[in-house]
Amino acid sequence: MGIRFILMVNKQGQTRLAQYYEYLTLEERRALEGEIVRKCLARNEQQCSFVEHRNYKIVYRRYASLFFLVGVDNEENELAILEFIHLLVETMDRHFGNVCELDIMFHLEKAHFMLEEMVMNGCIVETSKANILSPIQLMDKAS
Amino acid sequence: MEQLKTIGRELAMSSQGGFGQSKEFLDLIKSIGETRSKAEEDRIVLREIDTLKARLSSPNTPKFKLKEYLMRLIYVEMLGHDASFGYIHAVKMTHDESLSLKRTGYLAVTLFLNEDHDLIILIVNTIQKDLKSDNYLVVCAALNAVCRLINEETIPAVLPQVVELLGHQKEAVRKKAVMALHRFYQRSPGSVSHLISNFRKRLCDNDPGVMAASLCPLFDLIVIDVNSYKDLTVSFVNILKQVAERRLPKSYDYHQMPAPFIQIKLLKILSLLGNGDKKSSEQMYTILGDIIRKCDSDSNIGNAVLYECICCVSSIHPNPKLLESAADTISKFLKSDSHNLKYLGIDALGRLIRISPEIAEQHQLAVIDCLEDPDDTLKRKTFDLLYKMTKSSNVEVIVDRMIDYMISINDHHYKTEIASRCVELAEQFAPSNQWFIQTMNKVFEHAGDLVNPKVAHNLMRLIAEGFGEDDDTADSQLRSSAVESYLRIIGEPKLPSNFLQVICWVLGEYGTADGKYSASYITGKLCDATEAHSTDDTVKAYAVTALMKIYSFEIAAGRKVDMLPECQSLIEELLASSSTDLQQRAYELQAVICLDARAVENIMPMDANCEDIEIDKNLSFLDAYVQESLEKGAQPYIPEDVRSGLSNISNFRSQDHESSTHALRFEAYELPKPSVPSKVPSVLSSSAELVPITQPSYVAEVHQPASSALTVSSSGSSELKLRLEGVQKKWGRPAFSSTTPSPSSSDTFGSNNGTTQHESISSTKSKVHNVSYDSRKQQTEVSSEKKKLAASLFGGASKSDRKQSYSGQKVSKTNSHASDKSIIAEATSSSDTAAVRPTSQPPPDLLDLGEQTVTSSAPSVDPFKQLEGLLNLTQDTTNLSSSGVSMPDAPDLMSIYADMSSSSQSTTVAPPPNVTKAHLAKQPSKGSNVQEFLEKDALVRQVGVTPSGQNPNLFKDLLD
Repeated sequence: MGIRFILMVNKQGQTRLAQYYEYLTLEERRALEGEIVRKCLARNEQQCSFVEHRNYKIVYRRYASLFFLVGVDNEENELAILEFIHLLVETMDRHFGNVCELDIMFHLEKAHFMLEEMVMNGCIVETSKANILSPIQLMDKAS
Repeated sequence: MEQLKTIGRELAMSSQGGFGQSKEFLDLIKSIGETRSKAEEDRIVLREIDTLKARLSSPNTPKFKLKEYLMRLIYVEMLGHDASFGYIHAVKMTHDESLSLKRTGYLAVTLFLNEDHDLIILIVNTIQKDLKSDNYLVVCAALNAVCRLINEETIPAVLPQVVELLGHQKEAVRKKAVMALHRFYQRSPGSVSHLISNFRKRLCDNDPGVMAASLCPLFDLIVIDVNSYKDLTVSFVNILKQVAERRLPKSYDYHQMPAPFIQIKLLKILSLLGNGDKKSSEQMYTILGDIIRKCDSDSNIGNAVLYECICCVSSIHPNPKLLESAADTISKFLKSDSHNLKYLGIDALGRLIRISPEIAEQHQLAVIDCLEDPDDTLKRKTFDLLYKMTKSSNVEVIVDRMIDYMISINDHHYKTEIASRCVELAEQFAPSNQWFIQTMNKVFEHAGDLVNPKVAHNLMRLIAEGFGEDDDTADSQLRSSAVESYLRIIGEPKLPSNFLQVICWVLGEYGTADGKYSASYITGKLCDATEAHSTDDTVKAYAVTALMKIYSFEIAAGRKVDMLPECQSLIEELLASSSTDLQQRAYELQAVICLDARAVENIMPMDANCEDIEIDKNLSFLDAYVQESLEKGAQPYIPEDVRSGLSNISNFRSQDHESSTHALRFEAYELPKPSVPSKVPSVLSSSAELVPITQPSYVAEVHQPASSALTVSSSGSSELKLRLEGVQKKWGRPAFSSTTPSPSSSDTFGSNNGTTQHESISSTKSKVHNVSYDSRKQQTEVSSEKKKLAASLFGGASKSDRKQSYSGQKVSKTNSHASDKSIIAEATSSSDTAAVRPTSQPPPDLLDLGEQTVTSSAPSVDPFKQLEGLLNLTQDTTNLSSSGVSMPDAPDLMSIYADMSSSSQSTTVAPPPNVTKAHLAKQPSKGSNVQEFLEKDALVRQVGVTPSGQNPNLFKDLLD
């Protein structure tokens, strides 16, 4: 299992989206998110986009006020995960148009639906934006 | 600007509010978004929880409202609060007809519940129904839920439908069905073992999405069993070729790269298939070369694919051309300004040096830059690399660096890792004992609580055994320097327990050995240490034993023992300790210092911890005595099993003392009838509450003829003897590189190897010392400092540079290389160690890793396995002797016992009572002394008084 969790956290350390691919209790999640965000916020632009934390490797990328953090295990290609984050953002951008933190907050379920298409069982399964977005568009039409 | 956008969005949202989201929802999200502190956020969420509880419990909430409440519940949990009160509503919503409500319901359920939650059972039915739906989006939603919620027990409920869906006409459904099956495989491989061929089938699916999905399960399968999938190599290569030639739909392109994520997955699979397989690897060379050539190295994603190619190239059977282009790519990475690329470069370098060690040299300055970078991630990656390229010529520099870094960080997880790496490297490559001890001291001082306790035992053994060469002066110098350094360190506050134990042991054994320090000085230091760590019983036990040794050595040397007042008070405190172990040690100490010099010398021989203990299993030294008794008319000894009519000899010898006590021991005790009449049997059986166990042990020891100093072990049962033999074998042979004993290659070049290793170490010794000295001196010259470091790490940087600074060491350097090489030759010729080695091994260069295999195979016996065996046994005996008085912290204390009894012959380990009895049985007519003692003992037990221990008469009696 490559991807262990995907988080979106803003500069203030508030969680905006959290998807775990392995079970953690509420307390564990809360502690983990706090520690990771503190670690990533302390880093500057020049430094690597990868951080080791406990037995995870965190790949993170910042977009304006929002951090995208992906926890992976040791075998994963870090740079590819970094680009996967960008693919996710591009996909959301295509759907929302100039995506921003508030879009994700107001349409949290849609952000999750996109992730459900892209990642299953901790693996990247879909990388075509058209395929990712078509179920969501169909659902929008239906309702 | 951003604010304007936000306002615009809010306006747009509120206009939507009519049909999508309510004003209430918008306000909630807005207020959460505007909070500036966690406390404020918590207040909002807690208020929201109250609102939701009230709303959800009201019966006629409209459905679209429910969906919104569910999203609000998701928020509550996401922000770290418990929303379990609403879980059931999420479950209910999965039953809804509307797709959007159903999918939201499934989403909420997957976010809230783990697969073992009680509510899952309510969803399985819905999932089954939805998997049969005509609407493929409903089926997809259900399959998403299957991947998150179905556990091992519920797999059979949905498995038939999932398998059917593998052939669904919609590619989206097929893709998710593949992943559902993958998930079943992850949870319970057995449940889907008959369906694994489906993954192969889906690899040939018309839809690239389904094909890509099937790579995930296939990857997992290949990791486990590569040989069953070798036939697919051609298919994977073909697919990769098609992907690289842009045959996939444009929508898979990412930043002008054709389906890079699929390429990466395929490369991962190929590197598994080609690992150690020349034939498979050859099928991949062309496509790998093509991809490396075509990759756009200006984009991140291009570099990600390139990196994966390097990983693949370094994993499969080596191909010179590919290795060359991989090396080129690595230099590009390392020269880049981007830290991410440098990171990948360092990682890739670590992979490639296994095959072509020489490429590290050209990048040495880049590596040093990364090592000195303030970025922790990069630094750690570089330490990983250095760890992989450590050898005896650069171990000092690398380990010093690692320790400096270890001291500077607080992260326990990584500190543990780096500490154990330091220990491992030091044990494998230490150029000198001096250095090894200093290094271990540093590791212990700063991360003692994090390292494996075995490391402490290794260190003690090393100090005791010395280099293994017959050079006593060097050994005693080593010990003196260890003692000196420990006396310096012992005063520091907050030392890890592990380390203090080592210190106490060394000070006890060797503190007064060279006459530099007086006994009172050492004992004072020991007492201070116990005072400073008064809660640590293990340290106290070590300290008391150390005190006993020092006093014994004093007595044996004919000096008068002046016990310091603080020692006296310490011993008094321990006499009344609640730990029986500490008590016993204190009593033993008291008893020993009352004896005369001759006895003490036998009990506590100086520096005897390495001597082999020979055990006379038949107690032949007693033969004369027995003969004499028989002549005087004594009854001959009848073996116990014959006497009691029990034939279960095996039981008697079995280690399971539980059964043996019940079966045999009580029988044996009946022979000598003590004169204390009424209560004897009950005393024996109810002795659990009684403390006085120490006394019989003294007797047993001391009444042995003085000629045998090894009372404990010699009087032990045959079981005990066997154990000890094993231990000695281990300790006879000096080898401090015992971290990774590999059973496979042990016998082939056992002792021979040991000597070679020492040669190499000693020849490098002089040289490396100079190097480290040099590099320290150069710290002032900023410009050349890096080059120096590089040279010391990589062995030979630019030749001219080295000539200037290292001309003096050149000779010894080549020496060391020669010996390195000989070792490698030996390693390759005589050991087929488990490590997979490339067949076309390049000539051993500066970065050879061959040595690792050598050292790993040095010790043939794991000392700790045996120590454990010993430990179990001693535990048994002590438990017996302490008659079941509760032993706090047993394993630790026992390990001390093991240590004492085997290494220092301290004679104070209480022999099991049955040993005493055996003697009695053998000498039934020995006379009144024993009987007298037994009477006393029985009396004491009955009264329940702790024996004073200061009963010199008793010992005198028995000794004479």
